[in-house]
Formats: sequence, structure tokens, C-alpha cells
Amino acid sequence: MPGILDGIRVFDLSIAAVGPWASKLLGEMGADVIKVESPDGELSHYIPPPIKGSAVLYISANFNKRHIVLDLKQEADRAIALKMLEKSDVFIQNMRPGAVERLGLGYDVVSQVNPKMVYVSASAYGRTGPMAKEAGVDPTVQAFSGWCSTTGQPGSQGEMFRHFAHLDINTSSMIVEAVLQALLAREKTGQGQNIEIEMLAASMSLQTSRLAEYFATQEQPAPMGSAVTTTVPHQAFLCEDQKYITVGVVSEDQWPRFCRAIKAEELIDDPRFATNPERVEHRQELIPLLEERFRAKPVAWWVIRLTKEQVSNSRVQDFEALRYHPQVLQNEHIVDMDSPHWGTLSVDGVPWEFSQTPAGPVCPGGLKGEHTQEVLREFGIET
Amino acid sequence: MPGALSDYRIVDLTQGLCGPFGSMRLGDAGAEIVKIEPLDGDASRTMGPPFIGDESAVFLSLNRNKKSLGLDIHTAEGQEIVRRLVTRADVVLEDFGAGEAEKLGLGYADLQVLNPKLIYCAVSAFGEKGPLSNLPGAELVIQAMADYTNSLGRIGEPPVRLGTDVASLSTGVFISQAVTAGLFHRLRKGEGQRVSVSMLGTLLHMRGIMWTSMTDPDDWYGFHLDSYTKPPDEGYKTKDGYVFFSLRRGSSEDWDRLLISLGMEESLADPRFDGFGREVTGVGRYVAEVKPIWEKAFATKTNDEIVHLIHEFQGDAVPFTNYMSLFQQPQVQELDVVREIEHPTAGTFETIGPVWRFSDTPAAVQSPPPTLGQHTDEILLGLGYSSDDIERLRVTSIIG
Repeated sequence: MPGILDGIRVFDLSIAAVGPWASKLLGEMGADVIKVESPDGELSHYIPPPIKGSAVLYISANFNKRHIVLDLKQEADRAIALKMLEKSDVFIQNMRPGAVERLGLGYDVVSQVNPKMVYVSASAYGRTGPMAKEAGVDPTVQAFSGWCSTTGQPGSQGEMFRHFAHLDINTSSMIVEAVLQALLAREKTGQGQNIEIEMLAASMSLQTSRLAEYFATQEQPAPMGSAVTTTVPHQAFLCEDQKYITVGVVSEDQWPRFCRAIKAEELIDDPRFATNPERVEHRQELIPLLEERFRAKPVAWWVIRLTKEQVSNSRVQDFEALRYHPQVLQNEHIVDMDSPHWGTLSVDGVPWEFSQTPAGPVCPGGLKGEHTQEVLREFGIET
Repeated sequence: MPGALSDYRIVDLTQGLCGPFGSMRLGDAGAEIVKIEPLDGDASRTMGPPFIGDESAVFLSLNRNKKSLGLDIHTAEGQEIVRRLVTRADVVLEDFGAGEAEKLGLGYADLQVLNPKLIYCAVSAFGEKGPLSNLPGAELVIQAMADYTNSLGRIGEPPVRLGTDVASLSTGVFISQAVTAGLFHRLRKGEGQRVSVSMLGTLLHMRGIMWTSMTDPDDWYGFHLDSYTKPPDEGYKTKDGYVFFSLRRGSSEDWDRLLISLGMEESLADPRFDGFGREVTGVGRYVAEVKPIWEKAFATKTNDEIVHLIHEFQGDAVPFTNYMSLFQQPQVQELDVVREIEHPTAGTFETIGPVWRFSDTPAAVQSPPPTLGQHTDEILLGLGYSSDDIERLRVTSIIG
């Protein structure tokens, strides 16, 4: 069965993670994604670690694409690009503001060639303002967007998330939302449009629920280790075997079940803990009681008890445990992907399931320029 | 022009953070949303303090653009009201857990009969198959399950969660994608369908580069793999704050001049500083161990001076912000993403508005978040219930 974006062609001029991950998601929905690189290759080739000589970032951000090389500084190749753009539906770029215009492929030019184009530009901090000319990557946007300030041990001033991709892919994901909206609108109006998005704004959007605390109080929501301001109990507890269990009581019906699971029925009707706002207020009284309880038995016991009572819980998992966890396998959250260049790799599965238009399968992209001849031939371009 | 989804109606049965964030984004794009809440309200209404008036700040931040219908969906009449709404809707969102919607007569098969072109979006915590398909989700729990906490904190110390509600809100973005994609397909091919996303699936997707890195790396080297063993990075202390910087470009001559201008001549001979500082700036492998050397040089300079200096050497440098300093940044003011919303009872509050900039179909805040059951009468009258019906349903605790 064809995917949802069957027949949609993406001209992907993007680099590193933000743009490429967006076009990867569109490719996994069935779009024909053509990744266009300069002869030198894009930035991500140079970021370690490599697998069989190819950068993991390049491999990982470029599934479900074909790879071509064009030297857009040469008039002949720019003419090829324009010819391809006539027959494309989506254009994605995330160079520094101004750079794509210097290549002669700004929105004005591309929308002239193809008024139906959905044209997307992603920048780090915006196309106007004092930081417009600055490049940004996941860690700089983490540092600048307030993102680190809610994370860390109690008393810390906030720490970075050492998975330096979440804010990249968050931006990618919001690009995909926008592209889908624009494609939908285009079906009705026949017109393409221009879309801009910034990593900074996307990061703030992702922090909506935590920034809400700041807007309400004008105070910094403090880092609380594994705990959080607004919900109690919602944190990790140390168990007898020195392992941690994480739990979250996130609706009122879960509280009695939680108390039963840890055999602390006496807490159910304790007025200090009757509702979440009460538990937040009496956190200092409640948490020591719970800590003592969890310390009395090993983590395996608490997993059994909490799961039986339908209370959200998990151990702190690592990749080796996760990779073959039945939940992960059965839902294909992580899948094995065979590739001609890098062997069999464990990779991220697609994030959605569609009953009529299945997404995926996840397929390897290629090496730089691997599909140039094939793609240009399809466009009827002789080289 | 209105937003891209302005012709569509959504019936939203989800609660908490994930589903409501997804539907709010669809509302930003113009969709009309009926939020069905249990009679005691969406669970996030009691998430807090902080409260603004009687409303949870978290709830307010996730529920603009919606009308609230208070309804006991565990009653036959309540289910009938949902079915009537669905008959004239385009999209249904639910997060009951595997098999639960079917028990309520609100599964895809039940509703598709009433509305064959329906887009039915099911949201789950761990995924719809497997041993955990019925276990409720919670932000920290999904983060811990997805290996997120292993890139935070310090080995041997208690786990640290990511402060941002990523498992919930990133899933909300995938909800918005799945629904819009479903509507796109329906517009082109005339076919409805069932779509689903999960919180665990979301985080495992977004961490995919880690799985690939760990499959068969040529060496255990590079910032993805280092992330498991590195200590926390809290930025570089300066005279008046903290900065973060990365300096991977430029020539060796530039790099030498930078170190000299900072009085760090001794580091010129330090092999860790080779390669234009690739491994001692940004997320390089020696960043933690050489941080005191940088901080000694930064101690007499302000954040602004350091940022300016690094820019001079073609690097990236930014102040390390918290929520207070974030909104003082001119660039953040330039982006203009904060919106003031007037709520019927809580008064005016601030929140993050839509962040896409569309030239033709702009997204916008449509209406304030509702009080519980604010639109119950209006919605039921629209479905053809009489005032007497509504009175009876209220007295019998089916609506609220």
C-alpha cells in the first residue's frame, strides 16, 4: 500500500539534523525525498562516531531518501535544480539566514518557478533580530532557550541534556506539522506558501507546560532531580537492591491504587494527601514515608505491585535492556534495518501507525551522490 | 486567510498533557475542538500549584482553542452524546489505553460505522501491543524507560529527569502530524483511517541516533556515545553569568590567536587543544576536564564580552539562560511567540503561542482555554437536545 505522501516530491537542500530529520519523516510517510548536497558534502559527514566510515548522524538523519550532488554555485547545476524544483512539491533548507538567497534559490525565485511549492526555511534563532546571522545547533539552543534551567539535581543551576538531538528533532517535527498543513491547504487552494520556523521558538513551544509555571509565578521552576513541581508522587525511588524505580501518579484515581500497590492503604484517606494539590503542598511529609517503603523491597517487587495496580512505573532502562524488550519489539519502536553500506543497524522505528496508509518501512538512504545519475535521468536531465 | 485546518471539527477525549497539547496545535491551525472532560475535569486541572485563579497553570497552557463538554462517558447516554458528536466531526482523539475505547463502544470500528471518513487517533503510553499496552503513562516513567535519564545527572547519583515534559509534548506534535496526514489523505483519496502514536514510541524515535551509534560504531568515540559517561554540563562561569560556546571552524592561526587573547598560551602546547579546539569546545570529549582552564580565563570577562570574542573567531556562543533571563533576550522578544490570553475566570495569563510562520494560512490563538463544562449547553443544543433534555442529563449526572 502506498504511503500518505505518495506522489509528493521533496527537494531537500538541508544539512546536519534539523532539516534532514524533517525530510526523513516525510520520506517515511511515502514522499520521494531527494537529498541535494554540494560536492564537498554537508556538515554531518564530519561528526563522529562513524560506522564503517560513515557518520552516524548522516546515516541516521537520512533514511528513506535518494542522494544527489549538485554544485549550486555553478550555473549549469543551478539550472538543473530549478528544473527539478518545477516538478517538486516541498523545498526544505536550513542554512544560515541569507545563504539560500545567495545561491539564487530564495522563496521569491522558487515560487516563481513553481507557485505550488511548499517552501520551508528553518533557522536557529530567527531571520531577523540581533542573532539572525548566528548559526545554532542543538547544544547552543539548549543553552540559550532556558531548556537546561529545569533539569538537574536539586540546588543545581540546570544542566544540558547530553542527547544532543532532541531540540534538533523537535524542530524537524514541527516542520513536518507545518508541511502537512500546507500540503492540505494546497489541495484546496492550489497554492504553495512560505513557512519559517526557528529552533529557539520550537524549543519554547516544547517547554509550554514548564514555562506556564514561570508565567504564573514569575519564578524559575527549580531543577528537582527526578521530581517535578506540579505532580506528587512523580519521581524515582531507591529500592532495597540499590536500583531505582520511577513512578508517576498523574490522575486522582491512581492514588488509591498506588497506595494499595505499596501496601500503604492508611495514606488513601489521609486528608494531607487526598488530592494532587494537597500532596504537592505536603510533599515534605509524604515523600519520606514513600522512600522508606520503597527501600524495604527490591525493584522487581515494586514493578510487579505497581503494574498489577495499573500505576505507571518503570525501571531506569538502558539500551541493551530496551533493544530486546518485548514492548519495544512488538511495537517496532526500535527496528533492525539492513543496509548495503553499513550492515544491519538498530534504528528508530516510525513514530506513527496508519491503518490504511502504512508508514515506512524504514530504509537506508545512501552515500553522498549515490543516486545522482538515476534521479537526473528521471527528470530527463542529460549530464 | 484562516489556518489550514479551519474547516475541520475534532472531538477530543484525551486528558493530561500529551493529547491536549496535540489537539491545541490542531486548534492553532484553525480546527474547531470539542474537549470532552469527565465531570470532575481533565486530570491536568489539578496539576499544581501553581494555579492562576482556580485554574492550573499547566492546564491553561495546553487547552486554548477548545470548547469544554463535561460528560460521563461511562453511561449509555454519555456515549450516545459522543456518538452524535462524532457523526458530524472529522477527527476523534482518545487515550484510554488498548481495548478500553472498545469497552465504551467508542472504538474505531464503532465510530467508523457512523462516520466512514473519520480520522480516529489513538494515543497510548507504551504502544498498543505488548505487555505494557495497558499500563498508564507518566512523563518521568517514559523518560526512564526510553533511556533518557542515562544522558543526565552523574553516574552513581540518583536519576535526573529532563525538566521539559518531552515524552508528553513531543508526542503531542506527532499526534498533530498523524491527524493532519490522515486528513490530507482523506482529502486526496476520500478514505478515513485509524492512526496511533505512543509516548514511548516518540522518545525512542527521537533518540534513534543513539541506537544506531551503539549498534556497531567503529570506535566508542563521539559525543553521542560519550553522553553516557560525561558529567553534567552547566555552562562556563564568567564574571557575571554563564555561557556556552563551540568553536569548530577557523584556521589554526585564528585558534592560536583566540587562546593568546584569553591569556591561555600554555594551552597551545596541550594536545587536547589540537584540531582547532574540536575536543575542548562545544560537546567535545575533553570539555569537562578542561573547563577550569576556560573558566579561569573567563573569570574577568562578562557574558557579553565572551560571546563577542567567540563571534570574532567565527564560533557560536550564547548566554546560558534560565526562564528569567530568557525573556530579557532581545532575540526572544524579536521572535514574538508569547501570547496574552484573557481567561473568563482566571484573568489574563501569558503562554507560548503557535511558532510556525505561514505566509498564507497563519496559525493563531482562537479562544481562551475553557472552564469545565463551559460549553456543555451550547454543544448539546447544537446536537438537537432540548433544554429539558439538558436539565435531565445534568440532574442525573451525565453532563456537567
